Amino acid sequence: MAEEKLLLLKNIRQQGYGGDYASYKKTGGGAAFKKALTGMTPAEVIETVKESGLRGRGGAGFPCGVKWSFMPKDLPGPDQKPHYLVCNADEAEPGTLKDHVLMLGDPHMFIEGMMIGCYAMRSTHGYIYIRGESPHAIRRVQAAIDELYKAKLLGKNILGSGVQLDLTVHPGAGAYICGEETAMLDSLEGKRGLPRSKPPFPAQSGFNACPTTVNNVETLANIPFILTEGPKAFAAFGSENNTGTQAVSISGHVEKPGVYEMDMGHNLKSILEDFAGGVRGGKKLKALIPGGASAPVMRADEIDVPYDFDSLMKAGTMRGSAAIMVFDEDTDMVEVANRTIRFFNHESCGQCTPCREGTFWIKNMIRQFGDDAGDEALLSLVHRAAGNIIGTTICAFGDAVGGALQGFVQKFPEDFRNHFQS
Amino acid sequence: MRLGTVRFSEAVLKEVEALFARYPVKVNALLPLLHMAQRENGGWLQPGWDSYIAELCGTTLNHVRGVITFYNMYRTSAPGKYHIMVCTCLPCGLCGGAEVMEHLEKRLGIHAGETTGDGMFSLEEVQCLAACDQAPLMVVNEDMQKRITLEQIDRWVEDTRAKKA
Repeated sequence: MAEEKLLLLKNIRQQGYGGDYASYKKTGGGAAFKKALTGMTPAEVIETVKESGLRGRGGAGFPCGVKWSFMPKDLPGPDQKPHYLVCNADEAEPGTLKDHVLMLGDPHMFIEGMMIGCYAMRSTHGYIYIRGESPHAIRRVQAAIDELYKAKLLGKNILGSGVQLDLTVHPGAGAYICGEETAMLDSLEGKRGLPRSKPPFPAQSGFNACPTTVNNVETLANIPFILTEGPKAFAAFGSENNTGTQAVSISGHVEKPGVYEMDMGHNLKSILEDFAGGVRGGKKLKALIPGGASAPVMRADEIDVPYDFDSLMKAGTMRGSAAIMVFDEDTDMVEVANRTIRFFNHESCGQCTPCREGTFWIKNMIRQFGDDAGDEALLSLVHRAAGNIIGTTICAFGDAVGGALQGFVQKFPEDFRNHFQS
Repeated sequence: MRLGTVRFSEAVLKEVEALFARYPVKVNALLPLLHMAQRENGGWLQPGWDSYIAELCGTTLNHVRGVITFYNMYRTSAPGKYHIMVCTCLPCGLCGGAEVMEHLEKRLGIHAGETTGDGMFSLEEVQCLAACDQAPLMVVNEDMQKRITLEQIDRWVEDTRAKKA
């Protein structure tokens, strides 16, 4: 097995690590927040995160420090709107489980990153949006926050600095779309989770129309390291435009499914073979999806590429939330397409017609292939219908479902042809 | 149930006040509030609770009903004593999740989305539960059973039925 590069999982990989605040403190935890609060201005914190090159780990890969710099710089006065930082812990992209590993194994690391983010963006209240189907994660993170209130690291006048900060865990209620940041804000406001048109961007008008930034759990978990070890030490991991390490989830037909941490840009083929132990049962690889259900599929002969945002985009797919799903030679890609479109149809919020109707009709078309009733015209109709969703919706969900479905048709037409009417 | 006849106990109302204090406006707390109502009422929202919750957080009944029907986790009918969720999404579905679902449907004699006649078991097909490395999965109430086999399911169903008898 290949060596892991441990930055995010360094504590979790320690035998017997408890994940409570005392254990976290013993590993040097808490020092970064103290350093920010007592020795750095908010602008300096943002500059440091910018220098590190850290890109958002939720899927889009937007530079974190740049995102933070979009927030209004001044301390909100009594008549002005408060600022908010919302942590996106709604991990629900099929194949993705790394945020759960971080939240359950070492909750204080990402919470410290969030506290630093709140200080940098002059937010006095942060919300952690965790999906409702994960009561274990909700309890774990709530317990960690309770510990911080007890240690007086949350609340009023923290460490005598005059800074106030509250954190609240907000449970979702079972809607994949709430992982989209503007849908999440609507959901946090107590509404149906429908994505909003942008602009205005959340930094101008987010939670309750106040300046808001939304960051993924893993993104925030990197912040303490960047502050204590410096942005250069962080950028020493990974490659130039894709700095740092990444927690990659691997599932499907592999020997050792799970979450592994490695450099950004680690070779994809090596991730499969050296970390996940290769395809299960000595079988051959047929295909893999490199970045959650939203990413177009790759054929076995296409995976000798660096695993990072830019390289996978160049390869015509995406890194997304770093969820690799592996399919062996016996897999019928029509069945993979079927499960994918069923998921997207179920989770479409229904706001935009191309997505609501498109996912429904494509699901029916794929089902026809499942019943061995396909033909060449239907195959090209699937491709065209998927293309009609791309670029015609408010949020990226439409692009994701369209691209993913077109990928199956383009890369594995022979699998669909096996289901033609005879 | 007649309107205005359901309400939280005094102890839970204290919890509600503490919850409201965490949000700028009361209606922001609607999702956790609905979870609380389900928790207090056998896992579902009985008639009357939607309007009570609307009144509590100062919004309309339409708004609350819109939210209840949008999210998967809010129920307007009673779940079984043992509510079973099975993930049949990618990649669980391809690693045994589909067989687990089929087996449970046969074993319990119900389809996904239904409850057994004795109210013991209800079955729900769900999407990704973020434990894809542990496929196939079965979640009973809040207990996640990982890498489950069909034999284990049979044993669990038998044991659970025997417990009742």
